[in-house]
Amino acid sequence: MFDQILTFLQALLAQTGAVNFSFGNLLMIIIGIVMIYLAIAKHYEPLLLIGIGFSCIVANVPGPPDVPGGPAISALLYSVKDGGLFHYAYMGVEKLIIPPLIFLGVGAMTDFGPMIANPKLVILGAGAHLGIFVALILAKVLGFTLSEAGAIGLIGGADGPMAIFVAVKLAPHLLGPISVAAYSYMALMPMIQPPIMHMLTTKAERDISMSDVRKVSKLEKIAFPLVIAIIVNLFFPPVAPLITMLMLGNLLKEVGVTDRLSKTAAGGLMNIIIIILTVAIGSTMSAEKFLTVQTLEIVGLGLLAFLFGTGSGVVTAKIMNLFLKVKINPLIGSAGIASVPIAARVSHLVAFRANPKNLLIYHAMGPNLAGVFGTAISGGILLALLGAN
Amino acid sequence: MAAIVPDTLQGALIVSVIDFFLSFLIISGIGVVLSFFPLLNRVAKFINAPKAAPAPKSKAAPVARKPAAGAASDDIAAIAAAVFVAMDGAPYRIINIEPSRSRSAWVVGGRIAQHSSHNRSR
Repeated sequence: MFDQILTFLQALLAQTGAVNFSFGNLLMIIIGIVMIYLAIAKHYEPLLLIGIGFSCIVANVPGPPDVPGGPAISALLYSVKDGGLFHYAYMGVEKLIIPPLIFLGVGAMTDFGPMIANPKLVILGAGAHLGIFVALILAKVLGFTLSEAGAIGLIGGADGPMAIFVAVKLAPHLLGPISVAAYSYMALMPMIQPPIMHMLTTKAERDISMSDVRKVSKLEKIAFPLVIAIIVNLFFPPVAPLITMLMLGNLLKEVGVTDRLSKTAAGGLMNIIIIILTVAIGSTMSAEKFLTVQTLEIVGLGLLAFLFGTGSGVVTAKIMNLFLKVKINPLIGSAGIASVPIAARVSHLVAFRANPKNLLIYHAMGPNLAGVFGTAISGGILLALLGAN
Repeated sequence: MAAIVPDTLQGALIVSVIDFFLSFLIISGIGVVLSFFPLLNRVAKFINAPKAAPAPKSKAAPVARKPAAGAASDDIAAIAAAVFVAMDGAPYRIINIEPSRSRSAWVVGGRIAQHSSHNRSR
């Protein structure tokens, strides 16, 4: 009888996930908890990290095998399987439905005034993208194909939707780790960027204050999305879907007669997309998929791309200062890496800590917004050169 | 579309160099376009500026002129009273000229009624 009870209990245990729990699962659950901690305690992009962190935790709680003798599968992964809720959420990412909608919302939330007001700072939007190419070359050295290397390099553009867009076109099988790396590093920029910014600037440089810029008229703000949409569609068809939606969202905001649409794009629609996107990304972080050499290489290359991008942005600003009569604060150079508005906020905070009278947020938004275009241009050229469909 | 760059380390270097410098070039072009944006305000200002009124073809109606800056107010009052007497033929004499004081309309009306109470009707 005792043997029978033991057999029943063992059978019961076999139907739970406990027997399939691995050290990798534990490690990934800790990573998920750290993400949630950083979001709540440090306010590091909670909109992204809460969803990614939670999904990462749940994706690493194994359930019973899906088929007898098969691998354990988490409850979340059940919902990611064909027909499950998050299967369709992930299809939204994979089929490139979600990235253009994100850009629509971002456009509806963004004031491009700082970029229009100070056109010379747009150069920083290109200068801060050295990281893309450092990661691309190193990825090739590590044995990735050139298309894979291009998709990995674009993590350094610090633009989640653009990284997804290019990854789907160049290396769809790497979409999971690339999107995880891109969004995780974007959220962790307040930790990644400041040490590099401090290392490359002196106290005097961090103290440089910048004078007010001119006021941008409504007419200019309405003309901007129209002009940029024409330029991008004309010269960069590979990335036109994203930038066109960005400009449409911005036009809805600036015209002043479509408040309902711009509020929906920037509010409800954007929030729904964030929930879907973060869960779709987090659900790809199961230990058996994530803790592979290839994924860890991609994550490492992504970090290097962010570090080099931050550094090159600051250095570009310092080079510009050699030619400018009115000096700019080199800290705004790192904002050129894109990741609106996280990178601009980091520039502002580092300058503010150096000198509480220094308020750089408006100035940093110029290169930050230009960074979006810089990433789009780099991505467009990569797609054109590497033969994406 | 076929890749136009060889899948080698040299290919990666070529792609990187081309992409990095083209990005600089193109984004500088966007900067140049943006630097012309203030012209839009000038154009809008020019279009919205009120057009100057066309010169009248007929002779303009006489308009009361503002008194010369140097004219004393008492002179003006005296001239105005003299013109009134000459034009209207009323039996008035100018006794005193003083700055006007704000008075109640009732007081003014009562005074006029008193002064004119014994006038013959014309």
